[in-house]
Amino acid sequence: MPERTVAVASRSGLHARPAKIFVQAAARQGTPVRIRVGNGAPVRADSMLAVLSLGAEHGTEVTLEADGPGADEALASLAELLGRDLDAEGAPGA
Amino acid sequence: MADRAGTAPLPLDPRAVRLDAVAADVEDAIRQCGRTLAAVGAVDGSYTEAMLERERSISTYVGEGVAIPHGTLVSKDAVRHDAVCVLRFPGGVDWHGERVTVCVGIAARGDGHVRLLSELARILLDPDRAAALRDATEVAAVVALLTPDPDSEGEDASE
Repeated sequence: MPERTVAVASRSGLHARPAKIFVQAAARQGTPVRIRVGNGAPVRADSMLAVLSLGAEHGTEVTLEADGPGADEALASLAELLGRDLDAEGAPGA
Repeated sequence: MADRAGTAPLPLDPRAVRLDAVAADVEDAIRQCGRTLAAVGAVDGSYTEAMLERERSISTYVGEGVAIPHGTLVSKDAVRHDAVCVLRFPGGVDWHGERVTVCVGIAARGDGHVRLLSELARILLDPDRAAALRDATEVAAVVALLTPDPDSEGEDASE
């Protein structure tokens, strides 16, 4: 199964705004994407609770996985998102 | 030892649980969370404004009828010790179009909030436990739901 591992770039970690942006982007993909930390159990990338449960902080390496048509494109797009500081984008005072 | 992140109980003081709160709107509910966290000595008064600011930036609704108000990064000085509070709103609160019946207010120093959010999310991911939290009629039941592992008492020294 195609995978992409990337370090969370958002400075406050994968919660609140960065998590919401990521979850919404995952839901827009044409194929289900799952996310895990290390060898932990993969969870749905389009579920806010599931993504929060990872407890991914700034710099935590997360692995995205998806299967089927469009998987590579979905992984590339979501990995690019995680590689940006989503706290810094359009979030005054956050 | 494999997964310590899943074992530490949430810092929930039984005095920070309210079973039958009523709020007119999101701001009212968050102000009540701020007052509850202040009443157990976890935050000072300025933390409420920080929670409101966070909420204006993005909704803290997470699903399962639960919202998790917490402050912004700039407000961490307002936190004296990590704590959560649980306010049940049996009548519901219109949370930007979602119906919220449980607010879990979160206060944490440094990066502690990521762990607290993770702990809480793991509990809420279990539909049975999420339902039990929404339907709880006793403080002890809420405390038991959020601090599921009494066996590991004192092992994970929290200051």
